[in-house]
Amino acid sequence: MLPEQPVNMAGVVFRRWARALSNGNRSGISAFLLGNRAASGMTKDSLPGSYPKTPEERAAAAKKYNIRVEDYEPYPDRGEGFGDYPKLPERSQSERDPWYQWDHPDLRRNWGEPMHWDFDAYIRNRVDTSPSPVSWSSMSKQLFGFIGFMLLMFYLGEKFPSYQPVAPKQYPYNDLYLERGGDPDKQPEEVKHYEI
Amino acid sequence: MPSLHIILTTSFIITLVILISPVFTSILYKSLNRNWHTHHIKTAVKMAFFTSLLPLFLHHHTGTELTITNLHWMNIMTFDINTSFKLDHLSITFVPIALYVTWAILEFASWYMKSDPNINQFFKFLLIFLIAMVTLVTANNMFQLFIGWEGVGIMSFLLIGWWWARADANTAALQAVLYKGVGDVGLIFTLGWMATNLNSWEMQQMYITAKSLDMNAPLIGLILAATGKSAQFGLHPWLPSAMEGPTPVSALLHSSTMVVAGIFLLVRLSPLMQDNPFALTTCLILGALTTLFTTICALTQNDIKKIIAFSTSSQSGLMMVTIGLNQPYLAFLHICTHAFFKAMLFLCSGVIIHALNNEQDIRKMGGLLYLIPTTTSCLTIGSLALMGTPFLAGFFSKDAIIEALNNSYLNAWALALTLLATSLTAAYSLRMIFFVNMNFPRFPALSPINENIKSITNPLKRLAWGTILAGDLMTCAVLPPKPPMLSMPPYIKLTALVITILGLTIALELALFTNKQRPYMPKQYFYFSTMLGYYPTIMHRFFPYTFLKLSQTIGTMTIDQTWLEKTGPKTITSLNLSLATTTSNIQKGMMKTFLSLFFTTLMIIILLNYY
Repeated sequence: MLPEQPVNMAGVVFRRWARALSNGNRSGISAFLLGNRAASGMTKDSLPGSYPKTPEERAAAAKKYNIRVEDYEPYPDRGEGFGDYPKLPERSQSERDPWYQWDHPDLRRNWGEPMHWDFDAYIRNRVDTSPSPVSWSSMSKQLFGFIGFMLLMFYLGEKFPSYQPVAPKQYPYNDLYLERGGDPDKQPEEVKHYEI
Repeated sequence: MPSLHIILTTSFIITLVILISPVFTSILYKSLNRNWHTHHIKTAVKMAFFTSLLPLFLHHHTGTELTITNLHWMNIMTFDINTSFKLDHLSITFVPIALYVTWAILEFASWYMKSDPNINQFFKFLLIFLIAMVTLVTANNMFQLFIGWEGVGIMSFLLIGWWWARADANTAALQAVLYKGVGDVGLIFTLGWMATNLNSWEMQQMYITAKSLDMNAPLIGLILAATGKSAQFGLHPWLPSAMEGPTPVSALLHSSTMVVAGIFLLVRLSPLMQDNPFALTTCLILGALTTLFTTICALTQNDIKKIIAFSTSSQSGLMMVTIGLNQPYLAFLHICTHAFFKAMLFLCSGVIIHALNNEQDIRKMGGLLYLIPTTTSCLTIGSLALMGTPFLAGFFSKDAIIEALNNSYLNAWALALTLLATSLTAAYSLRMIFFVNMNFPRFPALSPINENIKSITNPLKRLAWGTILAGDLMTCAVLPPKPPMLSMPPYIKLTALVITILGLTIALELALFTNKQRPYMPKQYFYFSTMLGYYPTIMHRFFPYTFLKLSQTIGTMTIDQTWLEKTGPKTITSLNLSLATTTSNIQKGMMKTFLSLFFTTLMIIILLNYY
């Protein structure tokens, strides 16, 4: 009688596991690995679809995005890949009422509300589209006009600088004629000094 | 005396150890008791202040300066990075002042932040900031300075966003990081330039080897760094936004210490700048523009902290002007005196805000002179010092700066702007005092107004003493390295005083109008001032929106469209279509087309034969 050959149990288990996976029996470990999905996240039918061409498609898209049909407006179909995603107003979260009882007060957003395509640009830490007391053109003209005026004046200030009056040093006794070895018998040249 | 060096080194190391130890001991404890911050951190800073006085007195008595190099950190071929501390006039003077101001602020914060459950963490953050600031100030090489530089920047971010659940605080913290990051680009560029051209980051070696080189590029980098850190025009909006943080943070970081780090950098590296007229002129122009612009903005603010924030920005512009005049010592003197009265102004505003139940609008204050007399007196002393009232701290530095301005050969418009800003400083200071201290209360009588607490009055009194005496002590103790102009006509000598009084008088006249005239619709220039020159509105909307939209479009659409459509199928289609259309149009049987083709071909053949 021949001794029993040792069997590689790990190999046996692996073969059974691979067979179960390929058969798609969805039982045991394969069901755990492949069948478990989170309850959150996008489902296939809530992902953006193609551009809606018929009124029925528009209505279905509006329902999908939780918007009224009258408010639903997709992006123009220019091959940019928006599909049926709604074109929401270009307004930031800062413009929303700070006192309303939002579901997410820090985001100023309710649950289920459609998100803007550029929502990350419109969060409260970023672009603020709230109206300003002064028009954009007026603001730009004033700010850049101010900067331009300052630069011009600084340029003129460099051309015409400010300084205290200075003059060459003035020495007494006819510019120290005798001290510099001048002839004592001769009359020195008269030196006129000016008071500064 | 050889032992002087040992005493200096030892006392400095003791100061550092006292400051650093609470950070490490806090890790050892599982949980810290409620008063840990007072017993450990405040006491540590207080003791560190007293130990830092010894080097200060030694330096003033004997002129001893020291460079301590104690660790060869990284050595790559000929490039050495060591940990080295420079204990010269700048660091020996600034460290005790920073510690003194921090001590006062920590004592105040133990009352101000009493209701905060994370007060221990708050104090730890302030301590880490202080350690980073001391590192920056005492650094003898650019790498160590950079460590301190980034350290104070990070702590500023964490402390501005202390109340992190508030979106405005988050935005303000992000703004601070982004604007200062732009400045950091300049500093890193300068570090790279110095490493490649000067082959060292040690101060002494840089000063010597830079003499023969064209230093325009690295100096512009340094000026950019100072613009970001010290909130000069162009990178200034983060400073008023930083008022979202707690008042002790505003008092310590955004008035006395961190905000002057940029100016300190330029003072420290002034030997590199002193022979470069381009850099000096840039500093002068930038400083003058900053000081006037921020003063204009301060004139119409109604939030007390924003007024003081713009005042800080304006004074930092004045320091930049002083550097542009090639007077780094005067700029440093102004840094030191400014620390006292600005911190005091912020602490006073904190007391007022707490007393009025978190009211920060000065239009809803009034008559506080009778209710919190110590605080309002300190507010008045601080404002007077800020204006340059004779013989208070601000006078010694500000008056010297204005005298130096008037006696120098400089851009006339920079002179005009600085004098105008000095005058307007008096105006907005008076406006703040008028609305806060004077007249009748404009708030409900339900606020629990009480300043009879040692944690409030002791810090304010200490800072008030500093505001009154610091300028005199510093100017008497130290001779300026550059001799000042000592003889000048009376009108030059009295310029600062006269324009301050002029500003004060005009502001008083206007203040009296508020009780008598009916309100009117604001004019355009009022909006210019209230909306901060429209700078934040334009910069924070246009550029972020443009870049975000552009990047989003490029990332999600343009790249795909280009590679999947335009460079492939659709381009081939359109090319083929146009070729096919042209070819078939040519062969439609029109005589004109045939004849033109015949003659064109003929001409081409003749030309080819000819050539």
